[in-house]
Amino acid sequence: MVAELKHEISQTAYIKLVLHALKHKTTAVNGVLLGRVNPQNDTVVEITDSVPLFHSNLALLPPLEIALIMIEEHYGSKGLGIVGYFHANERFDDAELGIVAKNIGDHICRYFPQAAVFLLDNKKLEALPNGKDQSPVMQLYIRDASKNWKLAGPDGGNRLVIKEPAANVVLSDYISSEKWQDVVDFDDHLDDIKMDWLNPELFK
Amino acid sequence: MVSKTEETQLNRLENQVDNGGGGAWEYLCLARKLKVRRPEKVLKYGLSILNDSKKRSALGPEEWTLYEQVAIAAMDCQCLDVAKDCIKVLRKKFPESKRVGRLEGMLLEAKGLWGEAEKAYSSLSEDNPLDQVIHKRRVAMAKAQGNISAAIEWLNKYLEIFMADHDAWRELAEIYVSLQMYKQAAFCYEELILSQPTVPLYHLAYADVLYTLGGLENLQTAKKYYASTIDLTGGKNTRALLGICLCTSAIGQVQKAGTKKTRRVQSCSLWQQKPWRKITKRELMINMACLLVF
Repeated sequence: MVAELKHEISQTAYIKLVLHALKHKTTAVNGVLLGRVNPQNDTVVEITDSVPLFHSNLALLPPLEIALIMIEEHYGSKGLGIVGYFHANERFDDAELGIVAKNIGDHICRYFPQAAVFLLDNKKLEALPNGKDQSPVMQLYIRDASKNWKLAGPDGGNRLVIKEPAANVVLSDYISSEKWQDVVDFDDHLDDIKMDWLNPELFK
Repeated sequence: MVSKTEETQLNRLENQVDNGGGGAWEYLCLARKLKVRRPEKVLKYGLSILNDSKKRSALGPEEWTLYEQVAIAAMDCQCLDVAKDCIKVLRKKFPESKRVGRLEGMLLEAKGLWGEAEKAYSSLSEDNPLDQVIHKRRVAMAKAQGNISAAIEWLNKYLEIFMADHDAWRELAEIYVSLQMYKQAAFCYEELILSQPTVPLYHLAYADVLYTLGGLENLQTAKKYYASTIDLTGGKNTRALLGICLCTSAIGQVQKAGTKKTRRVQSCSLWQQKPWRKITKRELMINMACLLVF
């Protein structure tokens, strides 16, 4: 894809996904990112919101299909589409993009070719409370010309930015106040439909 | 596997203790009984009882079970000093115990000393080759080191001996699903359904796996198992209801695609097919309406 494509993720979308990963520390989790190409600058993909999806059996199709249908239905009316996929591995020292993540990424690319996959960087997350690092605790994977997922290299540091620079500070605060308990994902919704996967009250 | 009522009860107790209303011991007993994994709470409440000598002596012989429970929770939270202290106390009380030996093995695992943990478990299992927990620890170690194929091997060996262990079959099924080995996962769920035909969650999981495998036959069978889940849960399971809608649409799509296509193409994984995108909200509503009628 275009070499200089930049992904700008909003604080809400970013924090929601990381908190979701922290809520389910013992399993892999995933989520989708919603947004659109910046109408003024088509080398920038704006990610405005995210929906945490599952924390169990990520590789099963029925819940994924239902989730994607409902998400597209809801956000389509706002002019937003699915522009990326987020994945957090089960183990701390597993920094590889697994096959399930690649497959779902490929699927999303079919409808939004500039889609990227974001993998939670556990080591960066661990170092979060200590440092003043403003970069997101995620790794960006982009599809190259031969349709393989490649990690955007160290020079890709400006390819993934958080819109609000103080996002990591806010995230650290939320982590210390255990805000992750309030995150509702699609799994929770399917277990109890009263729980709202849109998380409207999360950051109020 | 925990039912909704049990989970609500556990959460209620948790809130009660958090707000100072007491009931820590009831919570710990319930957590132990249901085998749930809530290490932070167990550690907090457990230590509050163990560090208070009056509460500790009120427990009587249950004190040692609590030490074990807190040790495991501490290891889960990476509070290895607390775990070490608990295990020391237990070792002093039960010097020859194999159960304490297992805990020591787990502590080695928690420290990441895989080789030594394996040695400890081997020597324990020499004296008792039919110790289920040690077999399971081996699977857990393989999984923790990222060696999933070894985990599958150990788990299969375990199931050859203990084929009635439902949790193990479920664990194996989930590992297979995470590796996208759906046929093998289906086999595991078939074993579970055969041994416990009235547990709806196995029917649901089996249906999910069949749907993921794709192909007309699998979709039709998946629909039947979603239906049996609905039957067993009195229609209260959202996943099964939605599953039937998905199956109906998918079967319609596959049949519309024409019978000229070879069977192999039809059973091509649904990852490759577009149909899901074309399912409109209206179609979903129609399917749900049909469902409510039947």
